[in-house]
Amino acid sequence: MKKLKALLVLTGMLLLTLTLSACSAESTQQNALKRSQANNTLTWGVKADTRLFGLMDIKSGTIKGFDIDMGKEITKRVLGKKGHAKFVQVTSKTRIPLLKNGNIDAIIATMTITPDRAKVVDFSKVYFAAGQSLLVKKGSPIKDVRDLNKDGMTVLAVKGSTSAVNIQKYAPKAKVLELEDYAQAFTALKSGQGDAMTTDNGILFGIASENPSYHVVGGAFTNEPYGIAVDKQQTQLKNKIDQAIAEMRKDGTYEHLLQKWFGGIAGFDLKEASQQ
Amino acid sequence: MIALKEEKEMAMIEFKNVQKYYDKFHALNNINLKVDKGEVVVVVGPSGSGKSTLIRTINGLEDFTEGQLLVNGYDLADKKTDLNQIRKDVGMVFQHFNLYDNKTVLENIMLAPKLVLKRDPKENEEMAMRLLKTVGVADKAGSYPRQLSGGQKQRVAIARSLAMKPKALLFDEPTSALDPEMIDDVLNVMKKIAKEGMTMVVVTHEMGFAREVADRVIFIDNGQILEDEKADIFFKAPKEKRAQQFLSKIIKH
Amino acid sequence: MINVFTQHWQELLVGFGNTLLCSVIALFFSLIIGSTFAIFEVLPYKLLHIIGRIYIEVFRNIPLLVIGMFFYIVVPQFIVTLDGFTAGTIGLTLYTSSFIAETVRAGIQAVDDGQMEGARANGLTFMQAMWHIILPQAFRYVIPPLGNQFINLVKNSSVLAFVAGFDLMYQGDTIASTTFDTFNTYIVVGILYLIITLPLSYYMRYLEKKLA
Repeated sequence: MKKLKALLVLTGMLLLTLTLSACSAESTQQNALKRSQANNTLTWGVKADTRLFGLMDIKSGTIKGFDIDMGKEITKRVLGKKGHAKFVQVTSKTRIPLLKNGNIDAIIATMTITPDRAKVVDFSKVYFAAGQSLLVKKGSPIKDVRDLNKDGMTVLAVKGSTSAVNIQKYAPKAKVLELEDYAQAFTALKSGQGDAMTTDNGILFGIASENPSYHVVGGAFTNEPYGIAVDKQQTQLKNKIDQAIAEMRKDGTYEHLLQKWFGGIAGFDLKEASQQ
Repeated sequence: MIALKEEKEMAMIEFKNVQKYYDKFHALNNINLKVDKGEVVVVVGPSGSGKSTLIRTINGLEDFTEGQLLVNGYDLADKKTDLNQIRKDVGMVFQHFNLYDNKTVLENIMLAPKLVLKRDPKENEEMAMRLLKTVGVADKAGSYPRQLSGGQKQRVAIARSLAMKPKALLFDEPTSALDPEMIDDVLNVMKKIAKEGMTMVVVTHEMGFAREVADRVIFIDNGQILEDEKADIFFKAPKEKRAQQFLSKIIKH
Repeated sequence: MINVFTQHWQELLVGFGNTLLCSVIALFFSLIIGSTFAIFEVLPYKLLHIIGRIYIEVFRNIPLLVIGMFFYIVVPQFIVTLDGFTAGTIGLTLYTSSFIAETVRAGIQAVDDGQMEGARANGLTFMQAMWHIILPQAFRYVIPPLGNQFINLVKNSSVLAFVAGFDLMYQGDTIASTTFDTFNTYIVVGILYLIITLPLSYYMRYLEKKLA
């Protein structure tokens, strides 16, 4: 009985914290556009473990990739030439909570637009049309996603990504292991912890380009349109971002960036990626 | 392990030119000593003289540097000798009792016979209870050592040694840590054991006990045996000056 | 918060079960391994002493996550494939055992030397004396610090989340990232951890009182 009582007290305390922090969460719901204009800074949540999109460059200590360049360009178009873009490292797992608590203004982090996510955040127009694919060791018998739909098959994915959910639809018999980030998932693949790694093709191509004994197989089996996410009710910021993307597509900046990052990747279809 | 055959003719304990050094300190200096079966030998000497070291080498609690030591036919200088074999046959009673604090009195007595001799549990318990009666603490069988007085503890410790049916018993100042009124209870038990013919080596300051029970008295100082005499002769007229001084001091107290 | 539980109780139950299983296995083996190395440290053999020292210093001074990753990622490349649960549990066992070894060694050294001497003179072998006399007394001394180690062990089992070990934390991560209800999910996860650790700490306190 004593134990139960102690448990109840603790549960009560936790509930109290919950209510308090819910209140404080409300207070962050100010206008993100106005705030960033006042600070002349737009804070982006970006990946730092994803080659080609957002990868930490150890030498310079900065994050580099397509998402970063897009973020910089959009910032200039939203805040003006002197606008400052600040990049905060996020993972698939942390990006929405960080956006919700106001640590970041927007997410540009290989984030697929899904109906579920659209319930909690607002998405911009598509800025990159990815599709989920598979990465396997060269010589692997796995040719496409159907080969994975067998008992005893293990697929490696990243926590909090759509690919983990999707693969269970396409290969329900396979076991899915979710790891912390792409680097860990790929290392696990190399260690034989799984038969294939799955996520969006752009990311997989990035890994394959650095690891020639692995390749992307089977083509894209889903559509994964990447969007920029802002918190609900931040319509003003969202509209500004949409506007910026549209301008970039028109004046060639977008294509230039796409070419810069993906032009040299074998097997990558630039046209497909730039679909709207 | 060298078990010599003609046990009967052999001494129970025999030191031959035993030397022990702690670094530079000469703890045992050329010890030659023989204890026959059934003999009671009392070792006396000033503190720090080496009497504890001497008695502790007999069951291998201390090793020695040179010489030979035979105990119940086993050669302690031989590295291959299994000390547990010797300890099975040679019990020891300590100044601070060293009863197992986590075991009851009865368990204290039964543990070694159970583990070492694999004695039948029923027989083991009967024997333990009998021994507790002999030493007069049967009513404490279920108590833990911390619930006993010093005198009771020491009597339990003696019973624990006896439970192994030893061929010899070593006593290392068994009454030095006791309150005066408890000393006699312990000494009486020891006298009883001695009268039953147990081979005993006793380090003690209890001269009354030595006079009454000991066959021989060994006087040791600076790691050297200075006297090895029949008890009555030793007490009447010790030859060594240091033994005389020691005796006069002890008896004054 | 109730929603998280009603909608995801199956995943949470799996996670709870795995956390509990991992904790029980790791607790059992880390106690055995830890005590063994503690005994190594008090033995008069120099080689065992050195081996014990190396073991303790290595596993005590490397982050648990690194040890877990080592068994998940490195060991499979050279020796044998270990799934996340196994790799994480092994890592947790080795890590915790090094702390337990230090704790138990302190306990053994706190037992009066006369206990060992009395037992040896009584004819017991070193191991018999250790097992029947010294260790029971040593454990009595170290129950409070040992209780802390056990509770840390349960919490540290969340290392499984990083090697896909399907523990409570892993399931919590997954639920949080599919529902986006991070806050409530982790509260539920926290409560589930309490359900394991609170009775454990009460039990250790009870033991402490009982054996004192």
